[in-house]
Parts: sequence; structure tokens; C-alpha cells
Amino acid sequence: MKDFDEIYQRLEAIKAPGLLSADRPREGDPEDKTDKGRAGEAFVLIEPAAAKEFLIAVRDDAELAFDILADLTATDPDTEDENFWLNLHLLSLGHGHRLAIKAMVPKADPVVPSMVDAHMAAHFHERECAEMFGITFEGNPDPRNILLPDDWEGHPLRKDYEFPKEYHGISCE
Amino acid sequence: MTEINTPPEPPEAKTIEIPETARTLPSGEREFMLDVSTSDLEVNMGPQHPATHGVMRILIRTDGEVVTGGQVHLGYLHRCAEKIGENVEWLQYLPYTDRYDYLSAMNNNLGYSLAVEAVMGVEIPRRATLLRTICAELNRIGSHLIAFGTYGLDIGAFTPFFYCFREREWMMALFEKICGARLTYSYIRIGGVFNDAPVGWLKEVERFCDVFEEKWQEYYDLLVVNHIFVQRTAKIGVITPEMAVDYGLTGPMLRGSGIDFDLRRDMPYMAYGEISKAGVYDVPLGRGEKGELGDCWDRVYVRVQEMMESIKIIRWCLGCIEDGPVIGDIPKVLKVPPGEAYVGIENPRGELGHYVASDGGKVAKRCRVRGPSFCNVAVLEKLLPGTFLADSVAIIGSTDVVIGETDR
Amino acid sequence: MPILQNSFEENVLTTKVDWLLNWARLSSIWPMTFGLACCAIEMMAVGAAHHDIDRFGAGAFRATPRQADLMIVAGTVNFKMGERVKRLYDQMPSPKYVIAMGACATGGGPYYKYGYTVMKGVDRIVPVDVYIAGCPPRPEALLEGLMKLQDKIRNTSVIRKPSRTA
Repeated sequence: MKDFDEIYQRLEAIKAPGLLSADRPREGDPEDKTDKGRAGEAFVLIEPAAAKEFLIAVRDDAELAFDILADLTATDPDTEDENFWLNLHLLSLGHGHRLAIKAMVPKADPVVPSMVDAHMAAHFHERECAEMFGITFEGNPDPRNILLPDDWEGHPLRKDYEFPKEYHGISCE
Repeated sequence: MTEINTPPEPPEAKTIEIPETARTLPSGEREFMLDVSTSDLEVNMGPQHPATHGVMRILIRTDGEVVTGGQVHLGYLHRCAEKIGENVEWLQYLPYTDRYDYLSAMNNNLGYSLAVEAVMGVEIPRRATLLRTICAELNRIGSHLIAFGTYGLDIGAFTPFFYCFREREWMMALFEKICGARLTYSYIRIGGVFNDAPVGWLKEVERFCDVFEEKWQEYYDLLVVNHIFVQRTAKIGVITPEMAVDYGLTGPMLRGSGIDFDLRRDMPYMAYGEISKAGVYDVPLGRGEKGELGDCWDRVYVRVQEMMESIKIIRWCLGCIEDGPVIGDIPKVLKVPPGEAYVGIENPRGELGHYVASDGGKVAKRCRVRGPSFCNVAVLEKLLPGTFLADSVAIIGSTDVVIGETDR
Repeated sequence: MPILQNSFEENVLTTKVDWLLNWARLSSIWPMTFGLACCAIEMMAVGAAHHDIDRFGAGAFRATPRQADLMIVAGTVNFKMGERVKRLYDQMPSPKYVIAMGACATGGGPYYKYGYTVMKGVDRIVPVDVYIAGCPPRPEALLEGLMKLQDKIRNTSVIRKPSRTA
């Protein structure tokens, strides 16, 4: 079982495609009142266009062996922020370690290549992400709505989503 | 007159020639009468159906009795849990966590609490940890009882369903004594548990364990090794280990295919680290005893064995629980420091993951729930083609899907 | 029945016939298996041996709406499912009854404020006879709701003309 630093060293050693940096939890700056630091867990930042190759690389490497895609989702951090976060979480059955991955997808052009070739588990997760945020996954075999009705307007999990007033004549209030 | 009374000549026996291109059906027979023109029939299974375990719709395309394609349609119970998480306060979100996997509400509370505690970095008192473990394992037994009982109901066995509910009523009475609710508990809170166990509760849990061990043998003999049940579930819905890993399956779906991975033992949380080191319980795996490795029988076998292993864990916790506080030092209005964390726990259905992101306020920035049933149900599109229509019910039941968790 | 329905004046004979018809109807209300969410588990618990619903005559859960009298809407109804609920209600033959079980079916439940796809109560699409509060309601609450429905049926006038004071 490796901890985050060892995993990151191995990622750099195998030159994982699209790897940008790592973000570890840190204490707040005592001088700067606005910087409260960051708690929680560490994650790895990657390029969204290279996400599929990254997943294949870490799946096939023997020391990392991240063979289960636990989660694929997105976050809308703020209305003013110009990027979505694409969050991926991987799990290794053989070694028992996890990896949290983040990719910044611009809101102006939210297109990411689909990761279904790397893990078939991504199929349903990508469909949900697409309808909730409006991110397009190119190459997903079945890009219809999965949880919302087929004629739903808007992308609910965005921070600037307005709750609908009515649907097919039934009031939503 | 003789012409009327003599029976007509029987027709000449025709030998039916089976062409080379005829399919072999799942039962082993060859198809024939191929000159009869047929077309595929698309049938809706659900959303209202006694055997889809909730409101799931599966569009099945059949060619006679053989299923040629199955498409899963979800969303009939989508209750916007993730959007609600971004609008209500941290502690107010806890009742919503009960309701996505309503059969194992304690585990859902636990997953959410652990995720928030991972960001906050708060210490949980020892008694709270053990009470959480006891409640989570009792809930696992209750959830597997329903999975097992309703699976029998789908197959056509009515009696195990009533037997399972007998034990489940006792378990729900135990939970009602400790937190007041029968199904949606909101008992495991951020920082500990809500209430201390009342006087005599731990003794009653011990008595439940004693009685359950005898009843477990009844379930095993009644259904698991029943000749008809075995014939209906063995060699059906085979999930190979490679398929299981590719589709991201976890829990009994993965262990039924022989892969030895249990989050409680391999990536322990709470008291499970010490429990695994002490060797208290084993992780049951499917071995292909009755048919092929990874068939429906293996998954049912794993679930039934897990009930016994949960009893062992509960007994260990009862043996070492001591008095003490049950909740840590948490302010009334909770403000979680900025940060994010993903914590995955072992739900009765698989890995329940909560990804929680905070920006320092009273309300979460993102509260993502990774429901195991959402991932497990994707494999149905691969499993259903090529089986008989009657077997598709057995396959859907063996995935133990709870639609509240699939749709959130 | 439509020729005879509500066409007789109230007298001893029609009252007795009505009593008999109503007794027959309320003692054999056959529900449809319509569990949607968590309340469905409590509905299953009512059907199990501990709180037996069969002693009220309502134990025969029919899977198809064509053979059912009662639709117990147990769980949250959202817009995608609501169209199917309406279709199933239309497929049931009358006399038919609806019990809205639980807070979600009654008025949206805990998803009232921020649930964008949740229908705030199933009575927006089907007429409801009995509402049962609770999240989820105890099995005894569902049985009381069933008994209230039986009271309602007991007071229906089938072949009598409806009385002005009722």
C-alpha cells in the first residue's frame, strides 16, 4: 500500500500522459487572512484531453495497477469560476491504494474525450456527468440522458441553475 | 361405410433438417424451423414490475424466449440528492443520506460522516466507533436478509421472504430502541453517534446474535442449497473476473467472481483495522461450487455467508465495548474548513463513496455520492443478451440493486 | 352496474343491499405492487407475517393494474415516474382507490424545497383517498390508513341515490 507521495513519484517516473502537478493539503498562511489553507486529501491535476491515456497508463503499470474506476464526476466550484473540475477517483484491488484526480475543463468549451475505452465503468458516469453539467464526452457509445427525463431543460448541478416553474403542465412549486 | 370408419393415413414423417447456421440456445439445444419468419419483440420490463427491485425499466428485445438485447433506463426515482447537498447545511443533509440506499441507512450515514470527518480531521471517541460498527454490521445483516428474501420471491419461493422478515423485525426493533426509527435512522452523525445505547440494549444484541446463528442454518437449508434454486441460479449470469473489474463492480458482485477484495479488510476504516488484524472474520468468496465461477448462485452464497461474518464482528465489538462519550467535540453550527476528501466504505452492495468538497462555509460546495448500485447495474447490458427471458429475472435479482442508490 | 348505480331511493332494502356490496368491497381490497422508494420496504413489512395485511383481506398484491383495486403510492414520485403513475391509474378498473403513503407522496416530503424533479405530492396527477403521514410511516400507520379507507367504502352509496347530507 503506497501513500500519495510514492504514487506521485511513480507517476512522474513512468511519465504519465497529461500529468500536471499535485495538490497536497496545507496549513493556512498566518500572515494572509484570506488563505485558510486546505484540509482533506491530496489529488493529482491532469490535462482533460489526455485523461483517457492517463487512465490506461496507470491501469497497465504493474506498481500502480489502478484497475477500478471508482467514480467519475464533475464539480462546478463557483458561478464566477471559468472552469469545471472533472473529478476521477481510482482504486487498486491488488495494492489497496486510491488516487484522486482532477482536471480543469473550461466552461466555454466543455468537451472531453470519453474514457469508456479505459474502463467500461465510465459509460454510465459520463452520461450522468453530461446531463448534470453539460460536459460533452466525445465517443461515449450512448450519450442520452440517464437520470433526468429526455426533454429536461438545463443542467441542474451547475451553480447558476434556475429551478423550473413547471413541467408538462404540472407545477413545480 | 368402411371409408368413414377407417382412420386417415398418418402423414409421412418428415425429418427436420437443422441447417449449419442454426443457433445453439442457452439450454444446449439447436434452433430449428428457421423458415418461419419472426421478428424481435421489444418488451418493457418495468418501471412498475414486481421483480425489478424498485422503479427500474429494462427495455428487453427478445427473439422468442431468448433475450437479444437489454437496455437499462434509470431515473424514475431521481431525487436530486446531490443538488440538495449543495443547498442545506452539513448536519441537515444527514436524513437525505438515509434515503438513498434505504435498506442500509446506517452505512450511508457512516459514509457521509466519515467523508466530512476526513476533511475536518476530528477525533471519534472509542465507544462511538464501536457502536457505529455494531450498527453498521446489524444493518448489513438486515440488508442481506431483504436481498435474499426478495430474491427468493422473484424466483418463486415465497417462504424465505417471511422468514427473513421475522429476523428483520427484531433488528428494526433494536434500532428503534436506540434511535427511534425503523428504517431511516440518521443515527450516525458527524463526530460520533447521536445517542448512547439504552440500558440492556447490548445484551439484547447479544441475544439476537445467538438466535440468528440458529436461524441462519434454516435459511441455508431452505433456499441456498435447495435443488430448484440451484438449478435456477447456477451457470446463469456469469460475470468473469475481467468483466467485473472493467465495469467497476464492487462488493458481493466482485467477490462472487472470486476476486478477494473487501474494503473493510484491505482499506480499513474505523475499528475494522483491529478487527481484521485480530482475524475475527473471513471474507467469503464465490468458488463456482454449483456451476461456473461468478454465476448468480455464487453471489447469493457470498451474501448469505457475509451475514454470519457480520455476527462474528458484532460479537467482537460487544466483547470490548466500554463506557465513554459517544460524540466528539462538534459545534452546533458546523463549519467545515476548506478542502475535499473522498471516502469509500463497504456498503452491503459494494463501495459507497462520498466525495465532499467544502469552501469553509456552512453548506457544502459539492456532495457527490458514488452509489454502488449505479455501477453494478451497468453490467446488466452485457449479461442479459443470450439468456432466456425467465433467467433475466434471476440475473437482475442477483445484482441486488436498490434504485434509491442508483438514482439518488 | 352503471344502470343500477345510484338509481334507487333510500329504503330498508336498498340499504341492506348497499351494506352487503360495501362489505364485500372493503373486505377484499387488492392492492397493486407499487412500491417506489423507502416506503415500499414498510409496505413489504406490512405484507409480511408480523403486521399481517392479509387479515384485512388486502393481502393479495396484484402485479397488474387490471386486477387491482387499490394503488398504494409508496415513495417519492418524480416527473419521469409521474407519467407512468397516471397511466397505471387509468388502467385500473373502477371502483379504484389511491392511498398516498408517506410524506413524499403526500406533499413532496423532504425533497420539497430543492428537489427539481420531484412532484410535490401525487395528488397533482391522481385523486387520492387517504393520506398517510410519516417518513416512512410505521406499518401500523399504513394499516390505520387502510382501515380509514374501509370506513370510506362502508359509507358509499352504491345503488342508493347519494343522500344530500352525506
